[in-house]
Amino acid sequence: MKDNVKSGALTEVTFFILLSLYVPKHGYAIMQFIEEKTGGRLILGAGSLYGAINTLTEKGWIEPFGEEGRTKEYVITPFGREIAEKELRRLKELTAIASEIVGGNCA
Amino acid sequence: MSLKKNRYFAGFMGAQAKWLNSMSKKGYRLIKTGKLQYEFDECEPDKYVYTVEYVGDKSREESDKYKEFLESIGYRVFYKNITLDYSPGKITYRPWAEKGGRISTTRSTLFKELLIIEKENDGTPFELHTEKEDKANYYKRLSQPWYYLVFLFLLFAILAWPLIPGVIALAALALLSIVPIIIAEVKIHKLKKENQLEE
Repeated sequence: MKDNVKSGALTEVTFFILLSLYVPKHGYAIMQFIEEKTGGRLILGAGSLYGAINTLTEKGWIEPFGEEGRTKEYVITPFGREIAEKELRRLKELTAIASEIVGGNCA
Repeated sequence: MSLKKNRYFAGFMGAQAKWLNSMSKKGYRLIKTGKLQYEFDECEPDKYVYTVEYVGDKSREESDKYKEFLESIGYRVFYKNITLDYSPGKITYRPWAEKGGRISTTRSTLFKELLIIEKENDGTPFELHTEKEDKANYYKRLSQPWYYLVFLFLLFAILAWPLIPGVIALAALALLSIVPIIIAEVKIHKLKKENQLEE
């Protein structure tokens, strides 16, 4: 995944996975979370999710949660929370600037 | 009543998935796979959809892990072979595979090069790879073995000298083996371009 390159921006899917894991979830629940929150606009395939989970675990942004069972659960790490908060600040700044320019009085 | 059918799709994964989906439309659900044989149970037509994925470059441990993950999502997963039963000693060398998968035997990854994955039909297309970068990685993995084939055919073509018909036949095989590489590279190139446009 192409996260955190120069701007520090996350891909949409990465950000959603991090957000979904503020509450521990297994793979299927992550997919459902993303589909529900975006009203079906964003659908994550299981193969891509598998890759993302491995990458994010390696980065230390998420980690396995609880007992190793057949349906493994994951949860966001404190470092992952930092990343998510940083991304939220970046997006807020972006929307503030955009509202000022595009939205006029909406700002 | 179960139904048994013999088919062999080699590495044509799209064709295999298409056939399984057409069986599902007729009301047959896959219950067992053999090297050439597929066994089906009767079920409600179109209740399940299938897709086929290449795992022949993974170690047994990795492909088992991936299979378990897909099962935890709620899918049914079958191992399926690309290779047939002709390799002497039931062992093959796969230089393109990851560590742990390069020497392939019946105890490890031989005859388990593919996964057939089944999910309940919810009307949406069954796509495992939805992210552009992940898709590009998958195409790259698919094209790896073909580089080795091209190299081998070219090597044999040189060794066949001065037997001209042999050289021509082997060179033609090398050329044919380039086709899948080109197809994969075109797809990867398109994905990269799309990715750049979005950034």
